[in-house]
Amino acid sequence: MINNTVVELSRWQFASTALYHFLFVPLTLGLTVFLAALETVYVVTGKPIYREMTQFWGKLLLINFALGVATGLTMEFEFGTNWSFYSGFVGDIFGAPLAIEGLMAFFMESTMIGLMIFGWDRLSRGQHLIVTYMVALGSNLSALWILVANGFMQDPQGAIFNPVTMRMELQSFSALIFSHDAQAKFVHTSIAGYVTAAIFVAGVSAFYLLKKRHLEIAKRSFRMATIFGVLSTIGVITLGDALGFIGAHAQPAKIAAMEAMWETEPAPAPFNLAAWPNQAKQENTWALQIPYLLTPLLTHTLDTKIPGIAEIEADNALRIKNGIPAVEALKLLSANPTDPVAMAQFKAHEKDLGYGFLVARYAPDQDVSKATEADIAQAAKDTIPDVFAIYWVFRIMVAFAFLMLAFFVFGVIYSLRNEVEKHPVFLRFALWMIPVPFLACEMGWITAELGRQPWTVYNLLPTWMSASSHSVSYMVFSLVGFVSLYTVFIVIEMYLMVRAIKQGPDAPHGADAGGHGHDKTLGGSVLSGGYAPVHAKTYLNEQSSKEV
Amino acid sequence: MELYLGLKILWWLLLGVLLLGLAVMVGMDMGVGALLRIIGKTDLERRSMLNAIGPHWDGNQVWFILGGGAIFAAFPLIYATAFSGLYVVMLLLLWSMIMRPLAFEYRSKIPTAQWRNIADWVFLISGALPMIIYGAAMGNMLQGVPFHFDWDLRSYYTGSFISLFNPFAILAGLLSLALAMYMGAAMMVIKTEGALAARARAAGSVAVGVAIVLFAVGGVWVSQMSGYVLTHSVDPALAQTPLTQTVAQVAGGLIANYQAQPILWGVPAVGFFGMIAGFLMLRVHRAGLAWWLGILAWAGVLGATAISLFPFLMPSSTNPSQSLTIWNSISSQTTLLWMTGFTAVFVPLILWYTSWAFYVMRGKVDARKIEQDPHAY
Amino acid sequence: MKVIGYFLLFFVLAMILIVLAIILGDAAPWYFAWIIGTGLLILTSAAAGFMFDTQEDKAKGAPQ
Repeated sequence: MINNTVVELSRWQFASTALYHFLFVPLTLGLTVFLAALETVYVVTGKPIYREMTQFWGKLLLINFALGVATGLTMEFEFGTNWSFYSGFVGDIFGAPLAIEGLMAFFMESTMIGLMIFGWDRLSRGQHLIVTYMVALGSNLSALWILVANGFMQDPQGAIFNPVTMRMELQSFSALIFSHDAQAKFVHTSIAGYVTAAIFVAGVSAFYLLKKRHLEIAKRSFRMATIFGVLSTIGVITLGDALGFIGAHAQPAKIAAMEAMWETEPAPAPFNLAAWPNQAKQENTWALQIPYLLTPLLTHTLDTKIPGIAEIEADNALRIKNGIPAVEALKLLSANPTDPVAMAQFKAHEKDLGYGFLVARYAPDQDVSKATEADIAQAAKDTIPDVFAIYWVFRIMVAFAFLMLAFFVFGVIYSLRNEVEKHPVFLRFALWMIPVPFLACEMGWITAELGRQPWTVYNLLPTWMSASSHSVSYMVFSLVGFVSLYTVFIVIEMYLMVRAIKQGPDAPHGADAGGHGHDKTLGGSVLSGGYAPVHAKTYLNEQSSKEV
Repeated sequence: MELYLGLKILWWLLLGVLLLGLAVMVGMDMGVGALLRIIGKTDLERRSMLNAIGPHWDGNQVWFILGGGAIFAAFPLIYATAFSGLYVVMLLLLWSMIMRPLAFEYRSKIPTAQWRNIADWVFLISGALPMIIYGAAMGNMLQGVPFHFDWDLRSYYTGSFISLFNPFAILAGLLSLALAMYMGAAMMVIKTEGALAARARAAGSVAVGVAIVLFAVGGVWVSQMSGYVLTHSVDPALAQTPLTQTVAQVAGGLIANYQAQPILWGVPAVGFFGMIAGFLMLRVHRAGLAWWLGILAWAGVLGATAISLFPFLMPSSTNPSQSLTIWNSISSQTTLLWMTGFTAVFVPLILWYTSWAFYVMRGKVDARKIEQDPHAY
Repeated sequence: MKVIGYFLLFFVLAMILIVLAIILGDAAPWYFAWIIGTGLLILTSAAAGFMFDTQEDKAKGAPQ
């Protein structure tokens, strides 16, 4: 028997550990690429200041990277520890991208990041540049394989259920990796990381500009970050739209929830700019609508029908009824895989197997054969995710995206006119922008994964079935452990990050820079001495000549 | 031989290679962590130890992630059943593993003695505990684990958390820890100088000595334990579930494979050879060779375990007929084929750039540089 | 006022780019787009760095 509390606790644990992990991932994805751009300038121009910039932003990257790696381990474990039925059921497909991620991407990223940090004196400029590019490529390829795996959960392509082994099995590897959802989701996520890094770099640079410290580094970083950011934001919005377009075909219930569309409207359907969805009554308490906009926005046509929630629910009720015989046949096949009658019955109802599983949660004794009409209706209602949450989380994410675009456009203009430091209000605003991309990324995750409910694998495997059969006390134990550990981690991480930012890029040359006395925080720095005194001097000369 | 059967055996061997890579590379770093407080007497000595593995620990740790990923991809049912069954142990392993990157990155960024002391304890725990659990997990596989399946392959673990730390499992855990400390010590002899290197040499000799004794005792113990035998099963070349076989428990079952094929005794013998020769090499100041012999030691220990169990991977002690074997827990042929392709391309590549990274960072750690380099651990 | 004018101009340009990209995107070779896009992004940002230095040099050179 499946315990609802355990399933709920497993979901909370997975969601919170994944969201926590995803606080660190986007910055790594973007900052590694940004470092590649910085170092490119260094290698091409040979100006030491770009090396300093690469090293400084690299130091911040590393503080962030450590937690990204650490919390990523949790994710790799949790499928097995807490979602063991899921792992057994789709491991044949889902495990492969995870393993390939390790083989192809994570190994490269982790090996190269050691060289990137420690190899400055041991590698030639060109070699070091290649190493930095490999780190950037590795971290993004990691994201690629993870999102191929996630793409399978959203829109399962290239797999088929095998009644002999009682699990999903891989049919076509290329269908798996070239699934539209995986493709668009990867690019969207990767570029969202670029945006995050751009805002982060611009924000921290704004901090220095406000404090009138490290101006040369700050202005250059700000210029490069805003250009990097404005292009990335355009990309992220484009891909967000592509995901909606793909989702409209693959996950109608998610799309209907994102748009709070209860009834199927005649095309072209109106767009709910703002609304107050009420799931119990299946209606919007109020809605601010723009007529005709939704259909072209979502389907890029004027006449494609977009099914509303009521219609989706009614269709799903039929699929549940059709799926029950598939589950019953499967039970017979489990004992006797060669039973021809059961096999015929299974084949006839195979396509709705997942829907048959759905009703077990509500059926007496969790036995689908005993399901009543009321149970089926309940299960059908369950196929619609939480509309209110998804509608608003999605909207805020989109609003944030346009806010960031506007920010970057201003930033680019100010930077190109070389007058950023003359706009303290804008710079202070830039500081406040730092949390925005992180929040937007989290909201993107929530939209995608909460919108996928009640499935772990869309249309195939209900979340409710996927969890491991633990006791509640085990779950409490692990939740308490995660919450306490993760709280300690974030406190240490934030402390170190803020400290490193306050110390600023001069910290490595404490003795040198301290002598010039333009940075008071350095007196107390333990990190004295310099590894590149020549560069430090030229840079400081440049700077003092500027200041004169 | 049929393709699918060949792939199944290939992936059983590759699983061994991955677990070996994990034991050697991660184990070495874990050993350094466990030895940190023992042979590193001053802060600078400890920093020398950390910086010796500093440029590589991150890459090495990926063996651990890859091990998890490969089990997931190639043996999904093992991944699902073992990870959920050993829940509390797995979480302890995980938590100690995730404290390590942070201890590495953050230890030397805060200069207070108190903070570094905490970090050094974290290194000790996150070095020793995972290796003990790694060994104890193998020890439990040899004895069988209390689990069974539902009709839909939902697994239920019925034992307690404490029962996973039975005497034999603890012995296996200590063996694994001893080998890890030996490898860590050998690397420290290679990478450091002076009194620190001398202490590392002494610690490594003791560790491998203990490992020899534990492996011998464990071997005798295994020969006395009962093992599992397939009495009725589907053709190994066919796709199957653990619901369609019968398994019996027989005395001496864990050495049955050795008795059937006496040449297999060579595998544990290789393990003993690696440990003894490694010990001697450490004594005659050939630490590099001692490190390479450590790989043989690990290969012998892991190989001996795998042969004892074959064709089982995770026998069930409460419902032996639902034991997980290579044949019934492995992925489909398509998945195995693709995974084989990726492995064939990327594992040599990984070995190549990992050796390149070690080559770039070759030589002893310079303690003076550590004090000056703001990026140093 | 000038800044607002520039802002509107660039914002509209950005919107046009988004629409264009969406139209192209329905064909959806996204992986390919990512490789090309990321490469161009790095180069453009690097170019922004070069440009900054050129501007600086000019500004430095002008008063002398």
